[in-house]
Order: sequence, then structure tokens, then C-alpha cells
Amino acid sequence: MATSDSEDFESADEGHGSPDKKQRKKRLSSSNYSDNALETEQKVSNTPKESSNVKHVEDKVKETDGWDDFEIDDNEAEPAPVKSNAEKQNKIEDKPSNVKESKKSQDTGWDDFDDWGEDDTSTNVQKPEPKPVQAKPQPAQSQKPEPNIQEVTDRLAAASTGGGGWGWGWSVDSLLSSATAGISTITSQVSQGISTVLETGIGAPDPEELARRSVKTNETKTDRSAPAPEADKRPETGSEQEASAGDAAFPFGSLLSGVTKFVETTGTKVIHGGLDTLETIGKKTMEVLQDGDPGLAKKRAMLGLGAGDKPVLSQVLREAKAKAEEEDKVREEKREAKEVHYENLFDDFEGLVHLEALEMLSRQVSMRIEERIRSVDLEKRQDIKETLQQVAELCEMPEEDDDYEESPSEDLSKPDAFHERLQTATQDLGLKLQFQALVKQYTEVLTYLSSPEADSVKSVYKRGVSSLAQGTALSVEQYHKAAEMLLVKTRRSTADEADALTQMTVVLTKHISELATLFTEKLNALPSDNKEQVNTYITNIFLEAGNSSTYIQNAFQLALPILQIGAV
Amino acid sequence: MAYAYLFKYIIIGDTGVGKSCLLLQFTDKRFQPVHDLTIGVEFGARMITIDGKQIKLQIWDTAGQEAFRSITRSYYRGAAGALLVYDITRRDTFNHLTTWLEDARQHSNSNMVIMLIGNKSDLESRREVKKEEGEAFAREHGLVFMETSAKTAANVEEAFINTAKEIYEKIQEGVFDINNEANGIKIGPQHSTAGGASGAGGAGAGGAAGGGCC
Repeated sequence: MATSDSEDFESADEGHGSPDKKQRKKRLSSSNYSDNALETEQKVSNTPKESSNVKHVEDKVKETDGWDDFEIDDNEAEPAPVKSNAEKQNKIEDKPSNVKESKKSQDTGWDDFDDWGEDDTSTNVQKPEPKPVQAKPQPAQSQKPEPNIQEVTDRLAAASTGGGGWGWGWSVDSLLSSATAGISTITSQVSQGISTVLETGIGAPDPEELARRSVKTNETKTDRSAPAPEADKRPETGSEQEASAGDAAFPFGSLLSGVTKFVETTGTKVIHGGLDTLETIGKKTMEVLQDGDPGLAKKRAMLGLGAGDKPVLSQVLREAKAKAEEEDKVREEKREAKEVHYENLFDDFEGLVHLEALEMLSRQVSMRIEERIRSVDLEKRQDIKETLQQVAELCEMPEEDDDYEESPSEDLSKPDAFHERLQTATQDLGLKLQFQALVKQYTEVLTYLSSPEADSVKSVYKRGVSSLAQGTALSVEQYHKAAEMLLVKTRRSTADEADALTQMTVVLTKHISELATLFTEKLNALPSDNKEQVNTYITNIFLEAGNSSTYIQNAFQLALPILQIGAV
Repeated sequence: MAYAYLFKYIIIGDTGVGKSCLLLQFTDKRFQPVHDLTIGVEFGARMITIDGKQIKLQIWDTAGQEAFRSITRSYYRGAAGALLVYDITRRDTFNHLTTWLEDARQHSNSNMVIMLIGNKSDLESRREVKKEEGEAFAREHGLVFMETSAKTAANVEEAFINTAKEIYEKIQEGVFDINNEANGIKIGPQHSTAGGASGAGGAGAGGAAGGGCC
């Protein structure tokens, strides 16, 4: 007994994995009647008349039973721990399967049984969705011959009227009485029942507990007598237990069966509907995908799924290796390129930060000029604007005229001559600008180019770019410093300052071209078997020299507001 | 010179407190007793590592002279960190701190990390400002405080690096928007080179601190 019980549990669990107790209950009972359900479903269409009769029954039952059954449900929830009973009832749940077999011979028993199921289904499910409920349970009834249904109807009617508020009690009472009546016959047939129980494999703990609880509550409520004959029959059909409570569980299961049937049929419909929808979606998707691409040939090819271009492993590996080598090469080139990257070098020589600082000053001073313009009346405003324009014109770079290049004294070295030119140019600026760094750098460049160090095209090129960047950075610094000093200068002579700065710009840009020329000449002079490479380098040097001049002239333009503010 | 971040610092404070010496000690690890007066602003840069990341500190060493005050103010903008320096042997430099602080707060972004530095800690015998006073001032104004000696290099590294750590933390906390260069933080050029095989043989990564590409 004990073993069979446990097995039952297991099998039940397998069948109904849902953790939800109530759901399990429903399913459980439904499985009891799964055969019935199938049969009835098939018959539904054939028995419209019967169904109308059934409706009668249902309607009557509804009036009385509806809430009562719900009460029972509530009671179920009440704690009623009687484990031993629960196990026994487990078997009782299986009865229906037996009942099925016996139903042909014992019509009355079946009828009652079925009626109960009907009652409950109609009432239980009615609340949320009255219409479908009526339709669904019908099949169950349709199985029975009409007279039987009539009988039931009558009985139900009687019960509902007689029972009054306790109408529900009738069905429950009958369960009880049948249960008690059954006890006597149960024991003899216990052995018989076990095998069926095992076969059906239904006996989850939840339903039986549910049944037990309902019975318990019923017991406390009423002890009325109920039709005995039905009770007598049940023990024979079901797998019987000693406990009356166990018997009571059986009908309860049947109550649920109706519900489940409904749920099942609805569920089936829903699932079928859902599957249909999915199928439609799938078909449509394929249609869209294949639109203009029959057989998905193109898409396959696009995804590389084509059979033709299946990769060969060795080929893949070879390609990967080649790719890696290529990447290494590229990386190396990049690193080298970075080494001689003008912008980076210019930044390293603090050219950018000086430019940035100069820009900040320039912007701030421009704002001050604007403020000043706004603060004066219209007439003066025009004057100021004219003055600003004049200063800007003074700062326009002169046309290339080599006559400025008055040949410096022959006895001066190139760097010294450069220094002298710078000082001459900035003479009227009235500032003590420090050109030593520029001169020093020039000297270093000259030294390098005449040294044996400058022996390879590549190193000369690198040094060339670097020197241009450094020279430019130092030049930009001059504008920055000049701007700062001009701003703190007490007495301004804008015209002179503008002229001086313009001259300085000329000298500095010429200096940059001088540097570029020195390096390109050196590159040309060096022996090389790769003339193309040399030409590329030379082009780059001139390119960066142009870049340098642009930086210098930009710096000069940034200094313009600083010159202008001295005049307004 | 690849770096993850670039932090802009400014060093401010009265003239002669040792701002340029601190910078020289930090960037060149040397001390120059006699230093030319700074004109406007001078620059220094050094790479440090925080949390395994290379960070370039770009330090703007401003002139302390009153005459340059209006110019140096325009450089405050876009600084992520500031070293506010006074001389522990000259009380007046300590007394001017409030003015400097107001200036800094007014002309820089509110998230700027300010480190208060009492320099010349090696000249203990000539001390005029007690360490506690510096601490109290820092506490009162929500600054980090440290006494340093540009001469002996005591705490010089710490001053610069701790400031960077604070900035870095603020970045992690999301206080600093690193994409807004007005915060004094730039993302290093290494991010642009991470691309790998792209631009084979090209000119390499874009301008380092130039902002933007090329």
C-alpha cells in the first residue's frame, strides 16, 4: 500500500509538473476523464438537443450552487492536516478511470457522477465567463441518454428547492453518504483497486489533500443522508479506501473534471489558434525573405553559407598568418610614422600649449575690445572699428620681396645672422624677447647636418620633421610671450608693434623655409638607392614646412587683438 | 607619449613662493635656487601612472607678479587641478591665499581640485606660518593640504600625484565629463590608435592634444 502510494505520487508529479496546487488538482481530475472528454468532444456536434436540456440543468444548478462551490473552494484552503488520509485519498482520485469501465453497465452511478461534474463546472467556471461554460460542459452530458439527464435535472431541482440556502449541501451530502455507505464494501475490494490505481498512475498528493479538506469541512457542516444507491456503486468501481474522507474525494475530483475539460478545450483552442498564428508568421517571414531571392540563394551567399565557398582550414590558417604579418608591418610603420609625426612633435615641443594659451589670451582680449565698442556711443564706435581695421591692415603679410633680405655681414655665422635679423625686426616692439632658444636650435640643426650622424636618408628626414616642429613651437612661443608682455606693457605704440611683429613673422617663416631647404638639400646629397623614397621624404619636408608657416601665421593672427587693444 | 588622459594643472600663488621651482623639481627632478621671473605662463609636462593608466600632467606655471594677474586669470579656464602655493617663511603669502582662492574659484570650473601647498618646508628656522594654520585653512575651504620643499623634493611628487588621483577619482565618479575639454581633461591619442589595421601606413594617430582629429 505504502509503496504504491508513493509511486502514485511520483507518476502524478511527472504528469503534472505544475507547482500550483489548484492547477494540479484540476489537471489531475481532468486526466481521470481524459477519455470522456475526447469522446464528448466528438459528440458535441451531434447532440444539440441534449445540450439544450443540459442547459436547463445548469441553469438550475447555477442559481443555487454557484457560490456554494466557491465556499468549498475556500474551505479547501483551510488547514486540515491529516496526512494519512491524504495518502489514501490519493487512490480515490483514480476511481474515475474505473468508473469509466463500469459506466456502461451502471448507468445511474455514472449519471450521478457526471452530474456532479457538470454542476461544478457550470458553477465554478460560470462567474468569470458564463457563455463558454455553458457550451463546453455540454459534451459531458451529451454522452448520457436524455432520460437520465432529465432525471438528474429533476433531482437537482428538488435539491435546490428543498435544500434552500444549503442546496449545495445536497451534492456534498450525497458524497458523504455514499462514502460512508461505501466503507463496508470497500475493504473487500481493496486489492482489486490497487492494480487499477497503479495503472492509472494518478494520485498526486495535492488533489487528495484538496479532497480531504473539502470532505472535512463537509462533515462538520452537515450529516444529512443522501441517495444510498449511488454510494453503493462507487466503492465497486473505484479503488476503495477505508476512510470515508477518501471516498468523498472522488466526487470532488469529478467536480473538477468538468472545469478541467473546459479549461482543456479552451486551452486546446487557444494553442491551436496560437500555432496557426505562428505558422502564418513563419510563412510570411519566408515569403518576405524570399522576395526577389528565390531559394534564398543570395542571402545564403551573403552569409557565407553557400556550399561552394566552404573554407579549408589550412587556407584559413595561412590567411590568418599573412594577415597577422601584415598587421605587424602596418603597426611598425605606424609607430615609425608617429615618431616623425609633425603634430605630435609640435605638441612635445610645447608648441600646441603655447598656441592654446595664446588663443585664450586672444579670445579674452577680443571680448574686452567688443565690450569697449559696446560701451561707447555710435560715433566713437565707428572710430574704434576703423582703428581696429587699420591695425589689422598693418599686420598683413608683405608680398614676397627679397630686397628685405639684406645680406647679413659676412663675418656672422648663420645662427648669429638669424638672431640679428630677429632682433632688428622686433626692435620697435619695445620688449625683451628671448630668441636664444631659436638660435640655439638653429645652431644644433646646422651642426647635425654637417656631422657624420646625418648619414642616412631616414634619420635626416626624421630630424628634419622634428626640427621643423621644434622651430615652429619656439616661434609660436615668441608670439605668446610677446602677447603677454604687450598686455602688461604700460605704454603702447600699436603701429610700431604691429610692424615689428609682422617683420618677425617674415623672419620666422623665412627661417622655417631655410630649415626645410637645409634638410632637403642634405637628403638630395645623401647617396640612396631608393630615389622614390627620398623624393617622398623631400615632399614631406616641404609639406611640413608649409604647415609650420601656417602655424606661425596663425599665431600672428591670434596676437592681432592684443595689438589692437593697445590702440583703442 | 601615449597617454590615457591629459590633466591640465595650474600653479598659482604669490611671486617668489617657489611655483616654478616646484614644477622644475617635479618635471626635471632638480632644484634651481635662482629662477627668472616667470612671464605670463610657462609650461611643464610629466607622465604619471594612476590605476595602471598613463596620465600626462600638463602644468601651467603662472606668473605670481601682480602685473600679470589679469593675464594669468585667463589661463585658469579649463584646469582640472590647481596647486595653490604659499611660502611658510612669508606670512603675507599665506594671507593672500583667500584672494588667490577667490580668483581661482571664479575663473575655473567648480570641479577643479585645489591642493594647498606650504612650500619651503626645508626652511624650518624661518617658518612664519605654522603647519596647523595651513591645515585649518585647507579644512575651512575644502582643499587638500601639504607642506613641500622644492629644494629637498619633499612631498613634491605627492602633491602633484595626489591631486591627479583626486581628479582621477572624480572622473571615475562621473563628476568630470572627460569629453568636455573645459574640465581640463583630454583623452589621450592612444584611443585613436587602438583601431588596429585601419589606415595602413597612414600618418598615424591624430594630433595628440590638439583636440579632434588632424
